[in-house]
Amino acid sequence: MRILIADDDALSLRLLERTLERDGYEVTAVQNGRLAAEHLCRHDGPRLALLDWVMPELDGPGVCREVRQKREQVYVHMVLLTSKESKRDVIEGLESGADDYLIKPFDPAELKARLRTGLRILQLEDRLVEAREDMRFKATHDPLTGLFNRGVILDLLSRELSRSRREDGCTTILLGDVDHFKNVNDTLGHVTGDEVLREIARRLLGSVRSYDFVGRYGGEEFLVVLNNCNLPSALQRAEEIRRAIASAPVQTVRGPVPVTMSLGILASTEWGVLPAEELLREADVALYKAKAAGRNCIKLASPQVPPNVPPQPLEEQPK
Amino acid sequence: MQPNDPPPEPIVNVAELLARVDNDAELLRELIAIFKIEFPRHLSALREAVGQGNLKNVQKSGHTLRGMLSNLGTTRAAAAAARLERLEDPSDGTALKSAMALFESEVTNLLPELEACVAKARP
Repeated sequence: MRILIADDDALSLRLLERTLERDGYEVTAVQNGRLAAEHLCRHDGPRLALLDWVMPELDGPGVCREVRQKREQVYVHMVLLTSKESKRDVIEGLESGADDYLIKPFDPAELKARLRTGLRILQLEDRLVEAREDMRFKATHDPLTGLFNRGVILDLLSRELSRSRREDGCTTILLGDVDHFKNVNDTLGHVTGDEVLREIARRLLGSVRSYDFVGRYGGEEFLVVLNNCNLPSALQRAEEIRRAIASAPVQTVRGPVPVTMSLGILASTEWGVLPAEELLREADVALYKAKAAGRNCIKLASPQVPPNVPPQPLEEQPK
Repeated sequence: MQPNDPPPEPIVNVAELLARVDNDAELLRELIAIFKIEFPRHLSALREAVGQGNLKNVQKSGHTLRGMLSNLGTTRAAAAAARLERLEDPSDGTALKSAMALFESEVTNLLPELEACVAKARP
């Protein structure tokens, strides 16, 4: 475990450093509060600190206040080590954001025990963060494929449509459906079907840019949102995706399964300011056309009437 | 000294010092080397502050010296430094002189006493 120690007294600093190194800590030693705050505020800085109270440039409580203010994402356990020992000092130290307080000269056994307490708190925090991240992932991702789930991919689509309209750009929607997937499930079983879906998800992710979004829209339907992608590029990208899916049979425990995908494609700039739901409906119509055209192909959703055409004046009614 | 008085506290509490350095002679030598550089510097600052009657700087030097001396198990000298640190009345020159005199007397033989401890630690 890495630990930062800060003390302007060279003798005290060396004694602490050696004591902690002997106990297995990886020690960073500094002689003023400003350097201590800089180290602790780094995103990869130590998460355990022993700080002297009286130091040049910035005192121990000042370091605690700065770290609490600037390093919110990760908790740093800070112990003030000082020869100040009045109740008022203890309270002031703790109020500044310190987690613990030790009076100099330190007793080595007590120091080590208190640092172990700090480590336990940090480990607990790590477990809580891990659990929170796990829950966040489960709430936003499809458990089978690991792609964004339907709710999240729709939110992302709405967000990207707003952004592209604001910035006068183009968001492209690709709605893909695995061809004859029902046959896979019916003849090879759902376990094999799941293997196929997982591999298709992997191929989709491998075919898009890091800032595009891929989600599972339904059973064997996938939604890809291509950000800042105009229609000619989008058509090319869709074709690349179609080819990547069909490139090789999926290897399953039941043997190789050939797969293809039909895709409906829609570029937002061609559709004015329709809401995401309506655009998806249109992309779905294009997907249906791709299925009707023999599958394993791409069909573009084109509006019948160009967008933003001013309404025609009403014909005058005969009097 | 009366027959029933407790024996005077030693200049260096050897057991405490050796426990603090985990009985490590090399570390103790290193700390003494640091002490030889740092202590005269702080002592000189303290003498200057006392000479100027600058109580704030006396307290500051007293605080630093107390921390350093405590770490070396020199309990009596640390207590004398603490007395300087606790001085509060800038007009009480007698108290300042008396506290400084006590401190000077407590630190006179520190170094040989500390160096003698190295032989008692693990080589």
